[in-house]
Formats: sequence, structure tokens, C-alpha cells
Amino acid sequence: MDSPSQPVNDAAAAAAAEDEVRTVDLVSVDPVEEIDEAFLCCICLDLLYKPIVLACGHISCFWCIHRAMNGMGKSYCPICRCPYRHFPSICQLLHFLLLKMYPLAYRVREKQMLEEEKEIGFFSPEFEENLTSSDVLVSPSTSSISGSQDVPASCTFSAAICCPDIMESLDNASTSTLGQNGDENIEADRCMATEVKHNFTNDGHKHKSSVPICTTDLQCIACSELLFRPVVLNCGHVYCKSCIFMQVDEQFRCQLCESPQPKGLLKVCLELDHFLEEHFSNEYAIRREAIRLQHIDSHQSAMQGWNCFENPFSSTKSNLQHSDLGRSIHYGFGCDYCGMFPIVGERHKCKDCNELAGFDLCGECYNSCSKRPGRFNQQHRPEHKFELVRAKGFHRIMLRLASESSEDGSILVLSDDASEDLEDGQVGHSITDDVLENSESTNSTT
Amino acid sequence: MSISGGGGGGGGVGRGMSWCSTTSVSSSGKRIQKEMSEFGADPPEDCSAGPKGDNLYQWIAAIIGPSGSPYEGGIFFLDITFPSDYPFQPPKVMFKTRIYHCNVDLEGNISLDILKDSWRPTLTISKVLVAIQSMFTEPDPYNPAVPNVAHSYLEDRAKHDEIASEWTMRFAR
Repeated sequence: MDSPSQPVNDAAAAAAAEDEVRTVDLVSVDPVEEIDEAFLCCICLDLLYKPIVLACGHISCFWCIHRAMNGMGKSYCPICRCPYRHFPSICQLLHFLLLKMYPLAYRVREKQMLEEEKEIGFFSPEFEENLTSSDVLVSPSTSSISGSQDVPASCTFSAAICCPDIMESLDNASTSTLGQNGDENIEADRCMATEVKHNFTNDGHKHKSSVPICTTDLQCIACSELLFRPVVLNCGHVYCKSCIFMQVDEQFRCQLCESPQPKGLLKVCLELDHFLEEHFSNEYAIRREAIRLQHIDSHQSAMQGWNCFENPFSSTKSNLQHSDLGRSIHYGFGCDYCGMFPIVGERHKCKDCNELAGFDLCGECYNSCSKRPGRFNQQHRPEHKFELVRAKGFHRIMLRLASESSEDGSILVLSDDASEDLEDGQVGHSITDDVLENSESTNSTT
Repeated sequence: MSISGGGGGGGGVGRGMSWCSTTSVSSSGKRIQKEMSEFGADPPEDCSAGPKGDNLYQWIAAIIGPSGSPYEGGIFFLDITFPSDYPFQPPKVMFKTRIYHCNVDLEGNISLDILKDSWRPTLTISKVLVAIQSMFTEPDPYNPAVPNVAHSYLEDRAKHDEIASEWTMRFAR
């Protein structure tokens, strides 16, 4: 078991789950938990692992989304073909929810994927459970306890009887139970739990899966209440749709991590919404009513805020495409902060990260002071140096195209090349292979 | 566009080739295995499919010609080859049985949008076979693989059906 120095019991859960995985491995490869169809990835047909929610609200695994993306231009949602340009960050709320609901299956998936990652040499981000549980939940005082197996019995209430009054008494009750466990670092546990019982009805042996899912596991970043009509931002943080207000001329930023939300539509994650409605029907109904009343008050402002999410392609689409025309595209390279893939415009490459995935930033993220971990678990540090890199693939591909197409095409390409060289010179880029190669290829086409 | 196909496949080489193709063989194998068990549990009507031998990436499938179509009474065999980056690239599906159909050429290549540009990784072999099945009853003469057959389908349907049914008798029984 865990040492007393461990701050949160999550570590105990992890240890317990690891033990379980070991036994599972001995018995059979197939996990015993029955997985809700909503949480099966439609690409790998397996339990979602490190889930990512696209702006259109569809969920898939980290690797499945990444592999389905097109490094050459716009990507399309594998489910609804909705176009997008940014590789979203993993939704940690869903990640920990799945880990809690299906500890066995999720650990098995983790093990499988880790082997695969070793094979390809690229790694998905890792989350330190202790850190992220306070990262996902806004106020640390309401952090939930998923760990200690004996606590749920004392703090499991049906959703029907949960109201703020009971929460208070529950608070006291659960802290006293925890006191007995001898773990003083744990904050008050507001475990308004509904057991995931109806998920595992006729099961005696699936006992371990019934760790209660709390409303604190499913909180909005902004209002700190149970999510209602959840939307997941590009940074992976989850909000109620009604909690997001966008100014028409300003970019929306996540309140927690300050990442800018790319322009474009943002739809409710329906799978998560159905889950909330099913598992917390009472709280969900209360939230629905509260938001309805709130909306009557401030109907006008809310509507205005949403307009730019709802009609993204009326104005922004054409702008984007026109602005793309004059800018270089770094085929196959993505920005590790905002996830833009491929990078359009400037690309800054970290000279000190030696991971296979490299570490690149787009111009905008390079100039902002945001600090986020890399998308492939790179060990990037703030003191690392960057260099400005010119679009490599652009020339190769355009030259190839030009050699295939008419004379007009090649002339156009050459003029593009020239302008890029000029830009390069201004920046003071040292002469690299690229430049040499470029001059060579220019000669060959003329 | 042709760039996307060529570039995507060739990625993942060299250090610092950021974000490029990270396909792993084991993930495609796992997915095919999943599909196999799902297909076994709930196969589409009048279809069967499975690996040819030990190789998980080489399948053979059979579709029974739907009744009411000129292909009635025939059994059509197809070869399915999964690419190593399946399901991110479509499987290659070819008719092994000769068929008189405007969307299938002499070599057995199929002109079906979901096997080309409209492929999505959420599609499965079972869905592809259902699509091919519906091609039997509703050919798409406006995107033909064999323009002559498409022409005869549009101009003289009775004759087209007669030849198709004759070919079915000759090659698919």
C-alpha cells in the first residue's frame, strides 16, 4: 500500500488497480468490465484511452485522432466529417472518469498502448494523478476521493437525496471516516455519489467497478457545478455550454489554462451529456432548471456570445483560406501548444528537445508566454532555445506539382520560392541544407 | 488531392519529423481482430468474410447476388487487403468473380467512393460489404469504372440486365 507521505489516496487506487491488472493478466487478456457503448472508440473499437473531444463533440482516443488527422491540410472528424485544424489536448476529466469507472479495462489499455508507443517511439502525455485531480477541479476543497475502497460505503448516497444541506452533513461524516483512515492531507470529501450500479446490474463479481462517480468528477471549470450540456475546449477543459461567453471580436481563452480557443464551431459532447443525464438525473434536472432561469435573465447577452461559435464558417472560413494562401505551411508539423496541425505561418523548432516527435510552436504560441506540456510527452523546458524553421515540404511538394503541371505553374512556384528566400534572409537564418537544396531544385526546374 | 495520399504514407522517417505518421502495426492488427470477432457475431445478411489463411491482413469475402437484381443466384467472391495503417487508409477490395457491372472493371477494381476519397476510419468491412451489396441493386452509372456498361445501363436497361444475368450464370455459379 501507499506510504503515509502520499498526499491523496489516488495513489492507493493506482496501486490497487495495478495489482488487479496483474491478476487479470494471469487469468485472461479480456477485462471483466462491461463497457458502456458510449465509451467505445469508434476507430479502434476498444475502450477510449486518453480521450480527445473534437470541437464537433465527438470523442476518440488520443492516438486514433492523431492518426486520423491529415498533416497536409484540414482534418475532418472521422465521425461527422466536420473540418478542424487543431489537434485538441486530452480531456483529462473524461480520462479520470474512465479510469474510475473501468479501472481494470483502462489499465489494460494503458499497458497495451504503452507497448505500442515504445514500438513507434512516440509517447502520449502522462498525467500525474495527484496533480491533475486538482487541475481538473477548480477548487481543491471539493476534490473527490476515488482511492480508498472502504470510504464509498459510508458516503454513497443515491442521487435522489442529494441537496446542499445534506452535502454539509456529508462533509463532516466523510472527514471523520477519513480521519480513521489516518490520512490527514485529504480535504473534505463532498462525495455526492451515485453508484454506477445500473451499469453493472446482474453482477456479483464486478464489485470493484462500483467505485462511485461523484458530481465533483464532472464539474464545470467556470461554475464549479455539475456540467450541463458540456462542451470540451481545444485545451481539453470542460465547461457548461452556458458558461462560455464569447466576445465577437476577441478570442475566447480557457479560464484555467488561458489557452485560446480556435475560432469555429463548438458543439456539446453528446456522449458525455447523455452520461450526465443518465447517472445524475436529479442534479441534472436541477441544473437544467437553474440555467433556464438564468437564461431568462440574461437572454440577450448569452445569445450574442454564442453567435460566433454557431456560425463559424460564415466569415472566418473564407478569411482563413485567403490568409493561408500567402503563408507557408509546414506539412507534417504541429504546434505543441495550440495543436495547429499542420503549422501555418512561422514555425519555431526547439533545438534542445531530442525526442522523436520534436517540439515545435506556431508563431502565435511562440510569441505568447503560455506554458503547456508537449503533446507527445516531450521534456521541453523553458530554458530551451528555439530556431525559426522555414517550410520544407512546401517547396518539395510545390516543385513536384509544378513539374507535373504546366509551365505557368512552375513560374508561380519559383516566385514563391524567391519571396521565401527573402523572408529567410531578413530573419538571419544561417545557411542550411534546406537552402542549398532549394537552390539546387530551383536550378533544376529552370 | 494527390499530395495527401503520397505524403501521408511516406511520413515518419527521420528524427524530428514531428507529428508525422505514427502508425503501428499492432494497432491495425488489433482493430482487424476486433472487426473479425464483431463480424462473426453479427454478419450482414448474405455476406461472409474472413482471413484467407494465417495472414490477418488478407481476407476473402463472398456476397450473394440479391434477389430481384440481375445478379440473383450468383455468389461473388472478393479479395480484401488491409493496409498496414488500417483503418486510416481504406482496405483494398477487388472482385475475384467476373461481373457485368458499370462500377466494376475487368480486373475487378471497384469504383466506390467510400473505398477512395470518402473513406473514414469509422467504417468497417461489414459496412463496406453492405455498400457493395447495395451497388448490385443500385449501380452508379455516373461514376463508372466501365463507361460502356454504364452507357448500356442508362440507354437500354433491359439489354444490360440480360447480359448481367447471363454473366452471373456463367461466372458466378
